[in-house]
Amino acid sequence: MTIYRWLLRLSAPSLARDYGAAMEDTLAAKLSRAPSRHARAVLIIREIAGLPALAWSDRQRQRLLIHGEAGRMDTLLQEIQQGTRRLWRSPAFTAATVLTLGLAIGANAAIFAIVERVVINPLPYPDSDQLITLDHASVVLKVANGMETSPGLYFIYKNRSRSLESAAIWGMGDRTLLGRGEPERLTTSHTTPSLAAVLRVRPAVGRWFTDEEGRPGGPKAVVLSHGLWTRRFSRNPSIVGESIVLDGQPYEVIGVMPAGFAFPFPRVEVWTTQQVDESMGFGLFGWNGVARLRDGVSLETARAELQGLIAGMADAYPDDPRAIGNVSTKLTFVGIPLKTRELGNISRALWILLVAVGVVLLVACANVANLFLVRTELRQREAAIRRALGASSAGLGRFFLTESVLLAIAGAALGTFIAWAALQVLVRAGPNLPRLHEIRLHPIAIAYIAVIALVMASVFGVMPLWRGASMAALHESGRGNTTTRQRHLARQVLLGAQVAMALMLLVGSGLMVRSFLNLRAIDPGFNPDSTLRFSVGLPAQKYETLDTAVATHHAIIERLATLPGVTAAAGTTCLPLSMGCNGNTLLVEGEDYPPGTLPPISLFRAISGGYFEAMGMRILRGRTLDRGDVDRREPVAVISQTLARTIFKGQDPIGKRVASNQPPPKMGAARSLVWLTIVGVVTDIPMRALNETPMPMLYMPFSQGAPRTGGILPGLSYLHFVVRTATRPEDHVAAARAAVQQVDPDLAIAQVGTLQELVDRASAQMTFTMVLLAIAAGISLFLGVIGIYGVTSYIVSQRTGEIGVRLALGAEPATITRQIVMQGGTVSLIGIAIGLTGALAGGQLIASVLYGVSPRDPMVLATVPAVLLFVALVACWLPARRAAALNPTVALRAD
Amino acid sequence: MSDLEFHVLLALADGPSHGYAIGKAIEDQSVGRLDPTTGALYQVLRRLSDDQLIGAVPTPKDTDPRRRYFALTPQGRRAAASEAARLDALVRMARKRRLFPQRA
Repeated sequence: MTIYRWLLRLSAPSLARDYGAAMEDTLAAKLSRAPSRHARAVLIIREIAGLPALAWSDRQRQRLLIHGEAGRMDTLLQEIQQGTRRLWRSPAFTAATVLTLGLAIGANAAIFAIVERVVINPLPYPDSDQLITLDHASVVLKVANGMETSPGLYFIYKNRSRSLESAAIWGMGDRTLLGRGEPERLTTSHTTPSLAAVLRVRPAVGRWFTDEEGRPGGPKAVVLSHGLWTRRFSRNPSIVGESIVLDGQPYEVIGVMPAGFAFPFPRVEVWTTQQVDESMGFGLFGWNGVARLRDGVSLETARAELQGLIAGMADAYPDDPRAIGNVSTKLTFVGIPLKTRELGNISRALWILLVAVGVVLLVACANVANLFLVRTELRQREAAIRRALGASSAGLGRFFLTESVLLAIAGAALGTFIAWAALQVLVRAGPNLPRLHEIRLHPIAIAYIAVIALVMASVFGVMPLWRGASMAALHESGRGNTTTRQRHLARQVLLGAQVAMALMLLVGSGLMVRSFLNLRAIDPGFNPDSTLRFSVGLPAQKYETLDTAVATHHAIIERLATLPGVTAAAGTTCLPLSMGCNGNTLLVEGEDYPPGTLPPISLFRAISGGYFEAMGMRILRGRTLDRGDVDRREPVAVISQTLARTIFKGQDPIGKRVASNQPPPKMGAARSLVWLTIVGVVTDIPMRALNETPMPMLYMPFSQGAPRTGGILPGLSYLHFVVRTATRPEDHVAAARAAVQQVDPDLAIAQVGTLQELVDRASAQMTFTMVLLAIAAGISLFLGVIGIYGVTSYIVSQRTGEIGVRLALGAEPATITRQIVMQGGTVSLIGIAIGLTGALAGGQLIASVLYGVSPRDPMVLATVPAVLLFVALVACWLPARRAAALNPTVALRAD
Repeated sequence: MSDLEFHVLLALADGPSHGYAIGKAIEDQSVGRLDPTTGALYQVLRRLSDDQLIGAVPTPKDTDPRRRYFALTPQGRRAAASEAARLDALVRMARKRRLFPQRA
């Protein structure tokens, strides 16, 4: 509505003054009665597109009121009518220009809208630039970041730091909602009550958590997401104060968050309290922390202060081995702005895409400029006659400007529509892009479109004046079949520039395609084909012991394995390419770890028998883990090849014994270690990204795990199942859900998907960048080819007479074809040379988003120019062939 | 008198009305043929006000104060009637020349 008011004031100021408020009321009434979002969008576009039409009559009326005459404006109105009519009469020119402008403006507006919403726009919290993450690194453990924080450190920061205004920690989890219809697994976030103060948000309905609810043993309360409130509770405000059952325990609903609130992720549907106190100490890392800097405090200052607090821990907690451990592993605070964390490395790719569509815009400009040059020549006579009859420069300017303004408006309208449609498609397709739900065609993006269109209109409107309006044109155009050398040169320069820019974009997208292929060619170490995955969480009260958890999981696996079409089924505490694997240092029997050195670090998984077979992982040495190992509680383990290499360095690991490191509960006390005998070595599988350095991994049977998650040992209260199927895995979801509910009707399955999806998601950002860059390159290639074809056709048509004479005098048609193709080919070659130089110079810009390919990859740098040259030559050859096929007599008569 | 202007006068024949209702009435009267944008509608409303064929009337209580109500002036009623007569004459002429179906 604000945009409408603003545009209305701009286009029809007096109407806006007299009726602005009433018009807004009417439009609001129309919008509120539109039956669908689509109808609303169509209505808005129509209303806004209708505004420029008001402009002239509004101003004319003003002038009538003031001067009592309409002479001048009449001519302007006439100019517009004539301009429209002229454009209407040359549909090819108009369509080509509007389409070119629309494509380029649309691509720019869409990418700009994404960059603006995702990268430039601050996070949706007040003063969000003060928000930082609480993350830690360890010099000794060689962890550069991603350790996150521990409850103990959180309390130190919260209570002692002067540079932090507030701090909160949070974790993710799932809870089964029971009663009120089907059991459903909900994504939850557990957070300290301080989160609302850190983010400066408050619920839309009800209240947020109190400090009392954040202490261990405090009342159990939940805050619902707006989405869940709408979906399950029909937006009933009286749900606040009622109780709902999550994992068998009653929780009081105390509030509902506003619709846009999506911390830490949009998929969170329920917030509960993370009940922590200082006794939880410094041992367990992996809790995500977020904090707000005090006004005027920089991140560097905070970093220095927090680092000082870490250094002081050894003195503050002399009896706590874990606190001393933190100091001796050289724990370092490495918090970064929250926005940087949320964006990850996508901002780089988005800026590259913005540059790419900027180049597309330049290619489009060159194309339109060429079209205008041709048209100007055709209109030389008209302009020259007008001038000879005494038209002023301003009058002539208006003559040319009218057309370019009309074309720019049409191009901008088409571009807005294209951008809007592209964003709809993009958000639906849902690439793995941070802040995806915030993307929309914001007024700033529309203003951006308006500025681009305005600049284009004035450039193209003025261009013909620069050469076109001189008296000389009257003589010149009389000569008919010659063009001035200067204008010919201008055309060639524009063509060459187009080829150069298209080449740069094609090289960029060629490099992205190769990176993508390299990424997808990585062997993930498991077979993602045709495998269903889902997770099941066991409510704590019903499944207290390890034995009940293991028995339940086995019952589920047995039922899954007997389903028709299922070839294997197994369970694990964490899946590849997803978060949530425990890690710890690992002791090797017989090795000494003198003070100051640390045992190697490894990730841990507890698995069911047959897991490696169900995942399609290869056993490299020794044997697999089977059901018998679990049932007999064998103290055995299988390790990944990277772990085998890092800790045994060439020795045979089979038969060696290792244990998860447990510091003694008190300084000097004995520690209880569980030694596991290594019985096999298995392939590495990636944890976060396909192209990561493999992480060491240890697999133990279920029976060596812990009953609950959250400790050092992998917990069995939450398990991922993998089901390999003979037919489409998606077809087995219902059967799998039924199998789980046969075991316990209160269990719900969550995170349903396929293993292939995990692999696809891991390369999603690369795919996103590659596809958009390929589209940009495709558009520029298309525009470039159209440009070459159009200009060559024009040259041929201008030279019809000359060609006719030459043919009549006995010239070979093949010679004429060759000449014309050579001319276009030379320009293309020069453009390719310039483009190659540009691609080599700009290589560093794109290097950071490439994988396994140099920005100077010889294959791409050789293939792309060859293909481009071929396409350019074909685009020249088509009109040239037509010229050579001319009948001399017809050609001469045409003059 | 333009098509749209005549439709506005027709829409106001039954009594005062406001922008959205007038637009809706025009759409109904013309069986969807005319669906003016808000801008185009108010431009016509202003032109008719300038010519004193319609006039502003006070907004009833309990409605949005931004909402403006318009009513036919006696002059507007006469203008609409004479336009209708003119159209009627044209239709009769067309019938006579067999360009338009006879009355059933």
